[in-house]
Amino acid sequence: MKSVVSMQNFLRIGLILLATVWTTAAPAELLIRVTEGRVDAVPIAVVPFAGAHNAPENVSQIVEADLHRSGQFKPLPAEDMLSRPTNESEMIYRDFRVLGTEYVVTGSMKAQENGGYEVSYALFDVSRQVKLMEESYRPPASQLRDVAHAISDRIYEQLTGIPGAFSTKILYVTFNRHAADPYQLQYADADGHRVTTILRSKEPIMSPTWSPDGRKVAYVSFEDNGRPSIYTHELATTQRQKVSSFSGINGAPDWSPDGQKLALTLSRDGNPELYMLDLNTKALTRLTNHYGIDTEPRWLPDGESLVFTSSRSGGPQIYKLNINDKSVRRVSFQGAYNARPDVTPDGRYLVYVHRRNGNFNVGVQDLQRGTFNIVTRTDMDESPSVAPNGSMVIYGTQDRGTGVLQAVSIDGRVKVELPSKEGEVREPAWSPFL
Amino acid sequence: MRSILNPLFALMLAAALAACSSTPTEDDSSATDTTAQQTDTSPVTPVEPAEPVKPDTSSIPLTADNFYNHPSNYDGTTDTRVIYFAFDSNTVPAAAFETLRAHATYLKNNANAKVRLEGHADERGTREYNVALSERRAKAVEKFLRVQGVSSSQLEIVSYGEEKPAAFGHSEMDWAKNRRVEINYTAGRP
Repeated sequence: MKSVVSMQNFLRIGLILLATVWTTAAPAELLIRVTEGRVDAVPIAVVPFAGAHNAPENVSQIVEADLHRSGQFKPLPAEDMLSRPTNESEMIYRDFRVLGTEYVVTGSMKAQENGGYEVSYALFDVSRQVKLMEESYRPPASQLRDVAHAISDRIYEQLTGIPGAFSTKILYVTFNRHAADPYQLQYADADGHRVTTILRSKEPIMSPTWSPDGRKVAYVSFEDNGRPSIYTHELATTQRQKVSSFSGINGAPDWSPDGQKLALTLSRDGNPELYMLDLNTKALTRLTNHYGIDTEPRWLPDGESLVFTSSRSGGPQIYKLNINDKSVRRVSFQGAYNARPDVTPDGRYLVYVHRRNGNFNVGVQDLQRGTFNIVTRTDMDESPSVAPNGSMVIYGTQDRGTGVLQAVSIDGRVKVELPSKEGEVREPAWSPFL
Repeated sequence: MRSILNPLFALMLAAALAACSSTPTEDDSSATDTTAQQTDTSPVTPVEPAEPVKPDTSSIPLTADNFYNHPSNYDGTTDTRVIYFAFDSNTVPAAAFETLRAHATYLKNNANAKVRLEGHADERGTREYNVALSERRAKAVEKFLRVQGVSSSQLEIVSYGEEKPAAFGHSEMDWAKNRRVEINYTAGRP
């Protein structure tokens, strides 16, 4: 069942690439290190692809790193492999079975006359001695990384039943106080490579978030004489629009699941309240009315309710708002500080910042079972953002006084560090599937 | 050559010397004495402080806990442009009243003058929640000035949360320096 990637998929990849065309400089890439994997991580061997060392991107290496970074797989080092098959005919299952390897990925990269490549790969189940899948792609050289991540996504889904999120992007703010423009808005591949700068500013940039189709981002920028405004910004065209610049706070934008509205925080009527802005009609609807602080709204997948942070009971706690009848109900009850919620795509888990003994950690609340777990051991954690497949949470924290990004699985068993090479990195937002 | 010794500097100097002394319960005269001794060895001529010195409090060492209400942070004139706050608080500190009254008087006498009250928070907690908290600090200062009779048209509020720290470290003292409202004259600066 050999298949060649359809034209449609190619167009999709092309679109992603288009978005990266207007990179002005090559900013520091993020380095990624797995600090804690699952003890039951599945042993897999990604055999170096034939011809990979001659290509501009080593596809098998990228696939191996992707699978490793998920924490669900434990790749076999190439030097431990007894044989290095590159296709089905060379496959000797016994060589992998004796090492305890459960799955094997083989493949090859062949340069084409048009400057592109043919990338083929196959996935084998060692114990059943069968080929699980086989595909090939014909990308231009510039899209080899996209193809590598697409292969990782396919393998991950085949073996876990969950779509892979390796082809997604991470949006974040960097801060380097010695730079001419200390505040920058950037995005990168989920593995930290191919950094693109969206905006640089002398004034703060905050609260970046993706549109549900992944084509636009929204953020708060203080560039207008130090006052906050909310912008929407189309990545491919760099066209942007100031959508909210009322007196007082303009903050915490979050796109509705249908992409038509923004939930946001405004203090124009006296104190911070939640509003809903229709991006087409510009109609503004006030959603909360309380003398306490109401902010940090996040849409639930149903598009009819939001979770948000409110101080209406004293300290910050998580509440749920029904948009239709404006009813509000408290959701978090553990501890005196719970704020900045995000929600998994299935709506089952809330992740938010929880303070315990003066430490700020990421906590996960299971809305079905009612349980609550702290999943990080760092401190000063903030801005948790869930991957579109619900597997991981990326968040900002501090490492030796510098803002860094880390990722943790929803169950807390996998931890991944993304130390930045320079300056601070903060407020990560994981893209939807692109 | 400096011809003016800032009274704020004199106070801090006195406090620092008092703190170094082996007799921590010194009265005001000895505090003044040490200042005088210091100036003897210096070409700088001290200027009498415009306001009566409050040695009981100024000799209290500056700590992260009392920073917001420490007299050395407020000179009682419009020269002071930063008001500090206690942790998790938006109460204007008593030590800043005189300074804020001076700003109020100036604003009332200069209708063209405008200030932007910029609220800030320390880095603990989530960013947008901190924006909301720091707006409350700026509003507390705004309310103080309004009660003194300042026109609302002369006042603007911007809240930055933890996005523009004054101190970049991560100690209690850094946080104390970052919980603040900056009084920024955008027109008619004194």
